[in-house]
Amino acid sequence: MRAMLAWVTGMGVSWLLAPAALANGWNMPKGVTEISRDIYSLHMTIFWICVVIGVVVFAVMFYSLFRYRRSQGAKADNFHEHTTVEVLWTTIPLLILVGMALPATATLQRMYDPSGADLDVMVTGQQWRWHYEYMDEGVSFTSSMSTPTSQISGEEARGENYLLDVDNPLVLPVDQKVRFLLTSDDVIHSWWVPELAVKQDAVPGFVNENWVRIEEPGIYRGQCTELCGKDHAFMPVVVHAMEQDEYDEWLAERKAEAEAEANSVDREWEMDELMERGEQVYGSVCATCHQQDGSGSGQFPALAGNDQMLDDVDWHKDVVVNGVSGTPMAAFGGSLSAVEVAAVITYERNAWDNDTGDVVQPSEIQEMLE
Amino acid sequence: MWNVVKSVLAAFFGVQKERRRQEDFTHGEPIKFIVVGILLAAVLVILIAMIALTAAG
Ligand code: HEC
Ligand SMILES: [Cu+2]
Repeated sequence: MRAMLAWVTGMGVSWLLAPAALANGWNMPKGVTEISRDIYSLHMTIFWICVVIGVVVFAVMFYSLFRYRRSQGAKADNFHEHTTVEVLWTTIPLLILVGMALPATATLQRMYDPSGADLDVMVTGQQWRWHYEYMDEGVSFTSSMSTPTSQISGEEARGENYLLDVDNPLVLPVDQKVRFLLTSDDVIHSWWVPELAVKQDAVPGFVNENWVRIEEPGIYRGQCTELCGKDHAFMPVVVHAMEQDEYDEWLAERKAEAEAEANSVDREWEMDELMERGEQVYGSVCATCHQQDGSGSGQFPALAGNDQMLDDVDWHKDVVVNGVSGTPMAAFGGSLSAVEVAAVITYERNAWDNDTGDVVQPSEIQEMLE
Repeated sequence: MWNVVKSVLAAFFGVQKERRRQEDFTHGEPIKFIVVGILLAAVLVILIAMIALTAAG
């Protein structure tokens, strides 16, 4: 008896605490799009329906347990069926379920309608970073986690956005319908930003669609949410939403950079420029597998002091441009520019005491790509 | 035949009177229930598909 009272009190207290917990960031976010707010209110409506049902059912149950207890001489009634009650307890849940399904389906329908988009962005999952391409704009870049390894290993205190920071966030204009085309270069990833209510699988060989219309400028963070290998925990998503004019400015800058880079393919590059650029590319793309110091690990070969690579430039170029099929070594000729590929190869041939003095020119890579 | 249909519908709904159940198990052949069951299941599927199609517009 006492145990039961304690239990009932415990239940009562948790019902009272539930709203406090919800207000305390335990709940899903309201988000910054119309769809995310719809999902939130659906979630809350259904939550409260469940709460009411739970309270009613448990109240009846505990009342009956208490009122008709054996110590008071209660006797079980032995009857076989009661059609009216059975019909009622089938119909009422049916009506409740249909009542919840109607608004939920209406919201789903709007979520699945990416038509009339103002802007298309191709989102490609790669082990373990995201690649964004602004279709029709000629702008594309990779977005890798920028949390330093010293924070992960515990040598340094964790920063504010631990594991949720990237070098190049996805920049989007507010109040525009942005359509995402999601796919993957290797395994299944999933692009998830809770505040935008977008969680969509990126599957190799398929293109999935989703869309947002962000209403408030800001920085929204998420993560890959489909287990995709060793660094699954280290491929965050960061979306930077800005006003249209700010976005236009950003895009124009990016376009100019892309153009300058395309024009620079044909010129002769200096060793220093290539090394500097190559170090960036290596750090953001290659180091997750081959390690920052080129020492490799497990199935990922060491590049520092790698004789086969150092003796054979053509093979080195071929591996980076075309990848090694059937292994995690991807073909980077598709996702990196000719300049980036040339720079990273030059870097690998001269960093970490490799010191070959070889300079690989972007024009050589461009030829391989054509 | 109408009784068979009613029994199958009751089975779809999940509620049946004990008296009717006893009747069903003492009169008629099982094959009737099977055939009517399959037909009505097909009707249910078509009905739901039609609702879904109209809802999807
Ligand atoms: C997802 C993990 C991964 C990433 C990221 C990655 N590699 Fe590799 N890389 C591999 C694996 C695995 C191999 C070995 C392939 C094989 O079995 O032949 C390899 C092989 C190589 C080789 C040949 C070395 C050898 O001994 O086989 C070179 C050169 C190389 N990678 C360069 C790069 C460069 C440059 C980048 C960045 C642009 C990069 N890799 C990014 C996994 C990766
Ligand atoms: Cu992933």
